[in-house]
Amino acid sequence: MFDVFLDFWSGLLSEATNPQKRVFIGYLASALFIAFLWLFFVEKLKIKDATSVIFSKKIWFSKSSKADFKLLFLNRIILSAGSVAVVSQITISTFLYECFSSQDFVQPLLFYSTPAGVVASLFTICFFLLDDFSRFFVHRLMHKVPLLWSFHQVHHSAETMTPFTIFRTHPVEGIIFLVRTSIVQGVVISLFIYLFGNKVDLITIFGASVGVVLFHSLGSNLRHSHIKIRYPKFFERIFISPGQHQIHHSVEQQHYDKNFGVALAIWDLMFGSLAFSEKKEHRFGLNTKFGEKQNLLHLFFYPFKSASQTFKLTFKFRGRF
Amino acid sequence: MSGLKKYGILTSLLAFSSITTTHASSEVYANFPITLKGYNGDATTSESYGGQMARHMLHNGLKKAASSGNLAKMEMYFNGARSVPILDPKSSSKFPVKQKLVEELSGGKTLTKKTYKGKVVGWPGNMTGAEVIEFMMKKAASVPKGVDSLTGYNYPQLISKFAMGAVFYNQACTNYLGAKKLSPNSKPNDAPYKKGAKYTGKEHVWDEAFGYWGAAAHTLTLSAKESYEVAKKKNLAAADYNKDGIVDAGTEMTYAHAYYASGFDKGGKTNYLETVTRAFVDGRQTITSAKGAKIGWNGRSNLKKNASIICSNWEKVIAEAVFKYAGSVYKDLDKLNTIMEANGDTKKAFATYAKHWGEAKGFAMALEAGATDRSAVSAKLTSLLGYGPWLPNLSQVTDIAKDGSYVKDEASSLAAYQLHMLKIQKLMVDEFKVAARNNDMLGSMDDLAAKLGGSGYAEND
Repeated sequence: MFDVFLDFWSGLLSEATNPQKRVFIGYLASALFIAFLWLFFVEKLKIKDATSVIFSKKIWFSKSSKADFKLLFLNRIILSAGSVAVVSQITISTFLYECFSSQDFVQPLLFYSTPAGVVASLFTICFFLLDDFSRFFVHRLMHKVPLLWSFHQVHHSAETMTPFTIFRTHPVEGIIFLVRTSIVQGVVISLFIYLFGNKVDLITIFGASVGVVLFHSLGSNLRHSHIKIRYPKFFERIFISPGQHQIHHSVEQQHYDKNFGVALAIWDLMFGSLAFSEKKEHRFGLNTKFGEKQNLLHLFFYPFKSASQTFKLTFKFRGRF
Repeated sequence: MSGLKKYGILTSLLAFSSITTTHASSEVYANFPITLKGYNGDATTSESYGGQMARHMLHNGLKKAASSGNLAKMEMYFNGARSVPILDPKSSSKFPVKQKLVEELSGGKTLTKKTYKGKVVGWPGNMTGAEVIEFMMKKAASVPKGVDSLTGYNYPQLISKFAMGAVFYNQACTNYLGAKKLSPNSKPNDAPYKKGAKYTGKEHVWDEAFGYWGAAAHTLTLSAKESYEVAKKKNLAAADYNKDGIVDAGTEMTYAHAYYASGFDKGGKTNYLETVTRAFVDGRQTITSAKGAKIGWNGRSNLKKNASIICSNWEKVIAEAVFKYAGSVYKDLDKLNTIMEANGDTKKAFATYAKHWGEAKGFAMALEAGATDRSAVSAKLTSLLGYGPWLPNLSQVTDIAKDGSYVKDEASSLAAYQLHMLKIQKLMVDEFKVAARNNDMLGSMDDLAAKLGGSGYAEND
């Protein structure tokens, strides 16, 4: 058991020092800084008041926030073993590369003469776009497909939000996210290497993709917080503001199934699910029986019960035809 | 004399004797003491691999001779003769070399008697290793500078790269480091290698394998870059280990696969030269520590472990070379295609392409000569590279007729042949886990995946 705790904390520490991760200490610091600026200059709060809003005990030590960490711990145990079983991006890219090589329509290294800088820019942009779209799309499915919602509702049962609410994820959902990541990376890597060969590279800052660094440095951690940062409407049609994501977590009915996007708002705009941020306060969580409890066993087991009921209902419904 | 004084003198004497006694450094393949029981000659060290170094001279000379188109000269280096001059490394004022004749290292040596005796899959005509080299030599003599522009064969490259594998790699890994020679009763350690020898059976078996590797005795005191410069005759200070102002071609030079290993290692991704050389030193120390007795169970296990390290890494070095030159061929074809589309003069570009193809083919054929059965890989390599290079008139050598002339047939498109080169690179990665990957045309999927951050843990958006 001691080893499990040790792994947990060393894992968290390695994430805090890895610029590829959202909870990297630098991104958390930049989020803190942005939150202060917002509360001080826009919300016109005094420094003392801004501090108490940001570090509110009611939020950080709520049952909901504690449940975030419990789920994080559970996921570490389950997914550290499970990730081995999930198909890796290398397996997918190798398989796809083989597929590309076996066709005669597009020859390999077709664009090999393209300058390396252009290739790296294209690769970085394409990966960012495909990754962001796939996150949007999978997120949308999580809400629209009842079986998937059974598990995603765990994340939405958060009544208070901190940057660590990103870890409030059911393990089944976690596996779905791992598969999504592997597929996206596998597709982009294999396609680019097939067409551009050894010139493919990722533009990085501190070893992480420039897209990731920009997104997280500009306050992505405030998406899951009570700091309601809003952008002008023009920008909110392009980028999802923290305030827009908080609407996604709102219990109000008019906010249901809005703003599935992560970095870009264009996908929501295209699929008709975009909502602009609002100045008024939102209540987070679920207006359901499931949302009433925050204990780990409930959050872990109830989704399976809910999923099996959904499955049975679907089966019953289909059986009538 | 007080007890303290006695103790002081005793320890001083012991310290002095440990300095003056001949013993091997763990970093240099030299100064291994005589352990053969009953030896009463004048020699003070037991290592000896002059015959192998003589063969390195013969190989270097054969490559040069193949470029001259002189069959008699080629025969002299392949079959051996008296007073054979060393053509490479040739002494110069910037890089003086001690020996001028091959026999100064060892007399009566040949390459032909030590060439791979199996049938070579990668070359048409169902020939043994020696027959392939003889055939190539005759062909080299019939074309200017050993390069046939009609078939695309660059014989000096083909002969050299294949011979390195068919002689050095083959002899070391299938013969000297093979299970038979490492068994206690074959070339035993408690008897001389041959009558009158200063070394035991096992000592010499191990030395001979080391000689074929081609590393300088002091390789472990050098960086990969320095070893590479030594092979290129560009770093006299690094080569001249004993600081006598002259390079000993038998102990202070880098040759053959050790040279290729240094070339890959200086890129920083691999450590073949040190790994193999250290395994040789380690194995030799194990034999020396038996002090002329039969090698025991632990000693034999250690030798087998080191032999396995040596041969697996040696094979990887050859596979790295196949990988590298497949990439070169790909690039050459790109250039050739551009010139052809512009109706330009392809002579120079074609010569470069033929040279690189010859290197890729020679190394690919060399992979057949190891102890591990690589027949499946060789069949794939033959199918992908072909018996001859792709030619701009869309033809390719497919066989050898009874009269020894080449048979050509229609070849695939240039793009399809380029794809074959990519498949060869992938084959080398899959089969041999090559890591240096010079001229990598595919890039590294692993590196990109790592940069993208891997799959990570579950995070919601």
